[in-house]
Amino acid sequence: MSCHTKSSPGLAEQWRGSAHHQAGVNCMDCHQADPADADAITHEGQVISVIVSPKDCGRCHQTELDEQSGSVHAEAHAIISERVPALAHNLTGAAMQAAGCDQCHGSAVKVRGDGSLDPATWPNSGIGRINPDGSKGSCSSCHGRHAFSKAQAREPDACVRCHSGPDSPDKEVFEASKHGMIYKAQHEAMNLDADTWVAGQDYTAAPTCVTCHMGAAGKVPSTHDVGMRNAWSLNTPVSVQQYLVVFEDGDKLELPADQKPPKRGTELTKADGTTGKVKVVAGPDRRRKIMSMVCLECHGKNFTESFMDQFDAVVALYNGKFGEPAAAIMQGLYEQGLLTPLPFDEPLEFTYWELWHDEGARARHGAAMASPNHAWWEGMYLVGRNFYSRFLPQARAVAGDAAGELIDPVLAASDHHRWQSSPDAANPILGWSPLPALEPGPSEALGDADQSGKAPQARVESQVAEPQTAAPMTEAAPASEGSGND
Amino acid sequence: MIKLRAPLFITRHVLFALVVGGVSGVVFMFFLIEFDHFTSSNEFCLSCHSMSYADDFYRQSVHYNSPSGVRASCGDCHVSEGIIMATYDHAVGTKDLIKQLFGPDYDDPVVNTLHLPEAAFAARDWFRKRDSATCKRCHAQEAIMGTRANTAAIHQEDAEGKTCIDCHINLVHRPVPERLTFKREAWNAMVEEEFGLEPGAAATVMGEH
Repeated sequence: MSCHTKSSPGLAEQWRGSAHHQAGVNCMDCHQADPADADAITHEGQVISVIVSPKDCGRCHQTELDEQSGSVHAEAHAIISERVPALAHNLTGAAMQAAGCDQCHGSAVKVRGDGSLDPATWPNSGIGRINPDGSKGSCSSCHGRHAFSKAQAREPDACVRCHSGPDSPDKEVFEASKHGMIYKAQHEAMNLDADTWVAGQDYTAAPTCVTCHMGAAGKVPSTHDVGMRNAWSLNTPVSVQQYLVVFEDGDKLELPADQKPPKRGTELTKADGTTGKVKVVAGPDRRRKIMSMVCLECHGKNFTESFMDQFDAVVALYNGKFGEPAAAIMQGLYEQGLLTPLPFDEPLEFTYWELWHDEGARARHGAAMASPNHAWWEGMYLVGRNFYSRFLPQARAVAGDAAGELIDPVLAASDHHRWQSSPDAANPILGWSPLPALEPGPSEALGDADQSGKAPQARVESQVAEPQTAAPMTEAAPASEGSGND
Repeated sequence: MIKLRAPLFITRHVLFALVVGGVSGVVFMFFLIEFDHFTSSNEFCLSCHSMSYADDFYRQSVHYNSPSGVRASCGDCHVSEGIIMATYDHAVGTKDLIKQLFGPDYDDPVVNTLHLPEAAFAARDWFRKRDSATCKRCHAQEAIMGTRANTAAIHQEDAEGKTCIDCHINLVHRPVPERLTFKREAWNAMVEEEFGLEPGAAATVMGEH
């Protein structure tokens, strides 16, 4: 410590002001290592490791470790490890994995034979980091070292490093919501430094990310499993409700709720390929109920349920109108060999990726956290614009003759796209609307009105004639979306 | 009047032997000085091909490339000061020559890198046993100022009871962990990756010697 006070006074001073210091927790309590540890190094006559893993923190914070392990945060690296090569390696370059993906999702830290940490994987405090001791996660992702301030971790800003930007703009969504607005105005009343931080007891001004996703509220205990209260998956091409399966060894697994729930005591394959015995299964209803109980600290029951209904309706709309049809169309194109299996070598693949991963996720997050701007303008409006003006035209161009088989039936399967078969349904939103059709008698008498009176009539005729011309039109102009949507 | 006479046992033969012995003694001392000097030079050390791997890292280090132009040679660090200790070090060092001639093929970079950790451990022990004496030929602890604000204070207050090598390892040659935390499997895996060998090949190479 004497050395570090001189050589890195910043971290020494942060520790000195921390609760750790007050409790007598010093450097070696966290950094001690066994010589056999993969990343053990000698330092001033002691054996230490630079990386303090969740396992190390768990020596004192056992409950938090148990909750955190197996959570969507701890699995953040594992969840995308299959996807990373396509985006980070093919589309850009491997350097982006270290500077981009891994900084949020966590790296698989590699200790080299000479004891040094591979710079391609370290420094890293991504929340799903695979540590040299095998544990997953990084506590310092939220609890900035070496102060480990409670108040800092309770701030919405603790989440901003990763939960911002186009695909999970939760910082922006929260700030644009009423919750975020009040939080900012009432920051003084948030009691962020309190020992316990139970919503409704220790603070009532506004919720932060922590409040709803992890925090204690009334009878609801706090948890370090940040995804536990989420009924839906929102960052998938199609949202599904999910069971949360907890294994006897504490590991967790999420399963789509349209399957039968696994029974207690059955053997199940975990995400990492090993098997485990099921200890308890929480259905999406139970997960939703816990989340709603947090709301109830400040809102009425009817208010809460109705809000959740509005949110669910948006997810269902996204799924039914855009997510499922787009996924079905993509699947058809892949199966017919019209798209190569290689991702991102065709423009349509970018369009589809942005449809669900960026715009679609934004819409769903906006609805989940009550930011009308993100639900609509930054979200579902862009989903609709993309779907009708980019995705469908590009998909038709790719499908060519097969559009009638691969695309039209998908769109016709629901009522969602029926509006396109009424091209006469006028609306002044674009600044133009046809004059109301005049009676045939007077229109013939008035020379000027004649043109405007005839125009809608001609459009009706072309609409009627369309079924016969549809097939040749598709052949002649495969990119056109004119024919297939009725 | 006192007449100075040599004692009777100083015969002509004895006198001759003394003169010849004295002269050859001086010549031998000169020879040792020159010999120690020569065998401490980079040229001599690098006359073995196996030493070129140590040289690669040395040339990247600040002990080779110092802004002031001061350059530490192999012997400056690895051979003790003073003719007696220098000669002793060289005598002990002949075991390296024997190993070079009759031991593993250290000229092979794989073999060389695989055996490097043991060499590093031995070198560190050597420094520690001598209280880092060769470091102190050039570095005076009380004169270390450093470029960072508190380097001087650290070398006064926090270095007590420690010798240079306790903190300053892996300065010049390829980094090797301390013996306590060294892991042979990890080192072997690194060498296999570096030289594009099959997993397990390093252990086979090591087993051959």
